Amino acid sequence: MSQLQEERDIILGNENVDSFDFDEVREFVRGADKNLFISHHFDKADKMLVQPRGGFPTYEKQFALYEFFVEANVDVLPLTIDSNTRLNDYATAKKMLRLSEANEVDMLNGYPLVNHGYRSTRKMMTHFNHPVSLRHGTPDARLLIEIAIASGIFEIEGGPITYLLPYSKNFPLDKAFLYWKYVERVCADYSTLNLPINRESFGPLTATLVPPSITIVIQLLEMLLSLEEGVKSFSVSFSQQGSMTQDIVTGKVTRALAEHYAKQINCEDAKIHLVYHQWMGAFPTNRDSADQLINMSTVIASMVGADKIITKTREEAVGIPTKEANAQTVANTQYTLRILSGLPAIVDEQEEAILTAEVHAIMEAVFNDPADTLWRKVFNSIKNGIIDVPFSPHIINHNKMITIRDSHKNIRIIERGNVPIPDHCFAYEKSCCDLNKDTTSIVNDIIHDIGIMQ
Amino acid sequence: MKVVTGVIGNDIHVVANRLMDLSLNARGYEVFNLGVNTYLEEFFDAAVETGADILLISSLNGEAEGWSREVKMLKAGYQSLDNLIMMIGGNLSVGSGNAEDIIPRYKNYGFDLVCHQVDLNTGLDMLDSYLQEHRPS
Repeated sequence: MSQLQEERDIILGNENVDSFDFDEVREFVRGADKNLFISHHFDKADKMLVQPRGGFPTYEKQFALYEFFVEANVDVLPLTIDSNTRLNDYATAKKMLRLSEANEVDMLNGYPLVNHGYRSTRKMMTHFNHPVSLRHGTPDARLLIEIAIASGIFEIEGGPITYLLPYSKNFPLDKAFLYWKYVERVCADYSTLNLPINRESFGPLTATLVPPSITIVIQLLEMLLSLEEGVKSFSVSFSQQGSMTQDIVTGKVTRALAEHYAKQINCEDAKIHLVYHQWMGAFPTNRDSADQLINMSTVIASMVGADKIITKTREEAVGIPTKEANAQTVANTQYTLRILSGLPAIVDEQEEAILTAEVHAIMEAVFNDPADTLWRKVFNSIKNGIIDVPFSPHIINHNKMITIRDSHKNIRIIERGNVPIPDHCFAYEKSCCDLNKDTTSIVNDIIHDIGIMQ
Repeated sequence: MKVVTGVIGNDIHVVANRLMDLSLNARGYEVFNLGVNTYLEEFFDAAVETGADILLISSLNGEAEGWSREVKMLKAGYQSLDNLIMMIGGNLSVGSGNAEDIIPRYKNYGFDLVCHQVDLNTGLDMLDSYLQEHRPS
């Protein structure tokens, strides 16, 4: 028996799992309908795929949400997981699920997939016969993704960096790398049976003034960590940054460099997709303004040429959205995509050259770390601040990089910390900003720059 | 002046914490930032370790009051913290509360300076003038 299979036996021996039948699950994946695979839709679609967010505790409410989404002409269904499951606290999730079922009050902020199990969840997924994307935020997602794939969920979001640095203060980063290596291997293994399982990285990170160079580097590294384990379909992503030009440049550089670095490890056969998140920062409380912001995001995603867009709702500032508001965004976004045409091609060669040089320089510094494997190089690079994510709560993050917006709302680096931004790029970034201010004014600017959409 | 700062309890809101770090440094303080999700014991331990003059606790999710009730009891267990200046700021109640009710409660819990929904620089100005009054150098 392989070492991976031994580990899988232990993970699936969890007391909350009702007898996992490996052979039956393999047969299910082998014979699964192509429509359940997002990789199939990426291949055949001639439009951007639209995917909302959403998860409710009970089977019935999740089913009802999907009915609304399908009615609104959704392309990809989400399955958002509750916070207890994300922290591997299945006992609490179970208790809260029972309370939600008994009282018709939602006691969880998502669907407790492990407690529901794959036998019943698979009935829902095959009933709707749409591709489903697993949205969670789990540092140790080993059990969760096993149950997801067995349920017919063939897109797994997340990664060791993007699901840790924005969400956790103390979870050990080295452990997260090893837990995600398991996820990649299981996805790669199932990908040999039918169409590939798609992995997607979470580009928004903290959604707070993260410069595109940092976003892209982390996207590329999670992609490489996934491809080197045999994953054949991967989505890199980022969220709306505040400047249309910066978004277009970011999309173009991300695509070009993803292809470049995949080729460097001889994985050019893998399919790489680009995903765009509608504004992930603080939303306006006014619902009509929120609708306008969402619509603008859709236009920018089209300019970026994304393969998939992940939507927000007009109730974002208020709380967990109702299924009605959620489905309305899907319908509105589909409408905007249908009527948008004749978009101009915008190219900014100087911005592209600067951003490309920054990403190459950081990637080179990561590869030059003396560690023997890629994940250890990445781990060391985060530890010593070569990669520095603004506003990460994690203790390992360096917090020496400072970013602000220039007059066109582009995110610019004014303090680089240990991040090896080349001198000419750093000089350019600073030249875009007014730096003759004292720290108090800069702090006030940062507060303003975070809340630009409110 | 040495300041230990951080966000109390199971609160992961990091943005203001980073900005306070920047602002305190700019005002000439030596900052020991414990970050988000920090418990009272950790604050007091850090104050002892660093020999801090000031402990500046912040809270956004409104749950600070539950933790603050234990300040006096826990602090009494440390011998060297009697001169520590205690400050707290942020959203200091769950839901809407008004400063007239909240400030005396927190002073009773053992804080010298209490800032409920006061903007960052106003709060730090309050700290500066408090120091001038109480620590003539």
